[in-house]
Amino acid sequence: MSQNKKTSNLLWGAVALGALGVLGTYAAAGPARFWANWVLWFILLFTVGLGSLFIVALEHLVNAKWSVPVRRIPERLATLLLPAIPIGLIALGALPVLYPGTRPEAAHHPILAGKAFWLSIPFFSVRTLVAFALCGLGLLVLVGGSLKQDATKDPAFNIRARKFAPAFMAIFALVITLIAFDWISGLTPEWYSDIFGVYIFAGAFLGGLAATALSVLYLQGQDRLEGVRGDHLYNLGGFLFAFTVFWSYIGFAQYMLMWYANMPDEVIYYKVRLAGSWRAITIALAALHFVLPFFALVTRDSKKDPKRLRRVAYLMLGAHVLDIYWLIFPVLGAKPHFSWPELSFALFFLGGILLWVRGAMEKGEDMPVGDPFLREGLEFRL
Amino acid sequence: MPETSYAVLGIFDTPDALMKAIPKARASKLGAVEAYTPYPIHGIDDALGLRRSPLGGMVLVMGILGALTAFGFQYWISAIDYPIITGGKGAGSWEAFIPIMFEVTVLFATFTAGLGMLFLLNRLPFFGHPVLSSKSVKGITRDRYALALEAESEGFDSAAAARVLQEAGATEVEILPAPDRSPFLTSAFILRVAAGIFGACVVAGIAMFLVTKWFPLLAPMKYMQDQPRLNAQKPSAFFKDGHGMQRPVAGTVARGHLPTATGTQEAAATLVNPLPRTKEVFAAGRKAYINRCEVCHGALGNGMGSLTAAYGGKPANLQAQQFRDYPDGKIYWAIVNGKNAMPSHAADLSESQRWAVVHYVRALQRAQNAKDEDLKVATP
Repeated sequence: MSQNKKTSNLLWGAVALGALGVLGTYAAAGPARFWANWVLWFILLFTVGLGSLFIVALEHLVNAKWSVPVRRIPERLATLLLPAIPIGLIALGALPVLYPGTRPEAAHHPILAGKAFWLSIPFFSVRTLVAFALCGLGLLVLVGGSLKQDATKDPAFNIRARKFAPAFMAIFALVITLIAFDWISGLTPEWYSDIFGVYIFAGAFLGGLAATALSVLYLQGQDRLEGVRGDHLYNLGGFLFAFTVFWSYIGFAQYMLMWYANMPDEVIYYKVRLAGSWRAITIALAALHFVLPFFALVTRDSKKDPKRLRRVAYLMLGAHVLDIYWLIFPVLGAKPHFSWPELSFALFFLGGILLWVRGAMEKGEDMPVGDPFLREGLEFRL
Repeated sequence: MPETSYAVLGIFDTPDALMKAIPKARASKLGAVEAYTPYPIHGIDDALGLRRSPLGGMVLVMGILGALTAFGFQYWISAIDYPIITGGKGAGSWEAFIPIMFEVTVLFATFTAGLGMLFLLNRLPFFGHPVLSSKSVKGITRDRYALALEAESEGFDSAAAARVLQEAGATEVEILPAPDRSPFLTSAFILRVAAGIFGACVVAGIAMFLVTKWFPLLAPMKYMQDQPRLNAQKPSAFFKDGHGMQRPVAGTVARGHLPTATGTQEAAATLVNPLPRTKEVFAAGRKAYINRCEVCHGALGNGMGSLTAAYGGKPANLQAQQFRDYPDGKIYWAIVNGKNAMPSHAADLSESQRWAVVHYVRALQRAQNAKDEDLKVATP
């Protein structure tokens, strides 16, 4: 218990220290840098939370039994969407600073003029609020219902969730596309890519999976998920493996089409990211987000091996951070910014996220004990 | 007398009974232990002591090989053997190779997985597995679980094997006779197949002949030459001005055809030949000289070409002191702009060919006015 308390104090310390740096960033490094960091962490928090909620909905959608014993983990991680909402509301402050579409001169820009209403601050904010409301609905039905089932043991929840899951898939597609197009693609409104929402979806799903795998391994280390075995880990690892390939498929397809067509308004996005130090970051992203995890998980045993899976999950989360950084930070200039402001934001948000997740992991049952398929899930063998 | 049975089958009513019998059958060491069940049973791989299939490793190796093959093929074709600039992309643009690499990786990997599984690991073709002709096969595909002790050598003792299986709890025991392993590629079989193929070809040929005879307007395919296209020197309705050939877009330059601003011949005197004096450059210069210059200036550059004799023209004698003293740039200028009766060769010779010809003319001049030290270099 004292160990627990010590970690908790350490995390609070990190948050406090980070908060000082965050305030210092606004004062010393300027609002643009502050808001870029803020949006980065908002997107990270939101994608990992929404990715976890997507896992929950996916398992309900396909009526999966194997995942019932570990389903509580992504349910808990999906509650990261709750702190993401106020952080996202604060992030609306970035609109006049970082988003060219919201500026008055956009009305006279040959490309932006037609999108002026769509990109304007009021409509942008309304879309974000709608996305948050839809996420809240998903959380309420899927996670809230599951928590209630612990006490009631009412199998009607499974049927309700299975009926809601297809609708949630449509909601999910809308929300992730809105967030991707508005918050990330909106930084460079002259540039657009049809596949961008799918690219962000692939990263979000990977982020949710990696966080789920890490949390499962963490709880297993505390002997709290009795009955969860290599077979369950194998499925998580298999998902991770498959979606590293999916992410790179989408990412490369987007790049190759623009590279081939070589249209100035499209290719500029990659021109910026392949010049100077950004080139090294782009190559590192391909290596860390695809090559390394692909070969780390390609053999059958590696997907069941807790040690290997933990390392790959850490790697995937790190690569997800790098991915979003790579998408957002080029708006600040040709040189990648990385020094004390970025570190303070990392301290502040990582500390906060870990505190939130630790709190969530301590609440209630570790498995959905009211789910009638729990036993079947525990008996799952490959 | 050698044992002639293939295996002994023990039939069990439940998977648990089968799993319990496996260690006993393995302990008897009478033959290879194999199980036949209507559906996969968890843990049976470990109980039977099956080795991990090497298929995964084979697929990985072949997949990587597929990626490298596709990359190698494309790189060799588009960057080494026949480099063509398409769409403004340089030769060997790896981005364009990736989709093909992906496809070939998948092709190699799936073929290795499928064919390797069937032929390498499962040793097919194997017509009529003995278990399929056993009495128990109906039960095995439905609700019975069979454990087989399979003969590994001539000395297989089927009676002992049957006893072991009975003691292990089998409700029924069946001894399977050895399968007929006579070769199926007999001469009669080959003849029959060949005759079948020949017959099919004859029928198809006659049918094709009759179809094209009776329905001559039914083109078997659309010919590529019938497609709409632009022809050089031909009118075309595609462009507004009605010409098939179009001027290049204003302000653009084709790759390798940067114009050289040379003004007057005197101004060009300062130009420096950019090409190195290598064997390849001299060979290229010689080829261009023979094709374009020799007819007037002669093989030796002395102005005694075949046209000179026929028409009495007087092309420059490049061996004259005046031209030996010319700087490279002035010869280059004459090639580009022409001089006196000589027309411009700018349209015929590329930039590098022009400079190669300059080198070659220098070589011709030196050959006719060799110095003593040239001989020393030439002697081995």
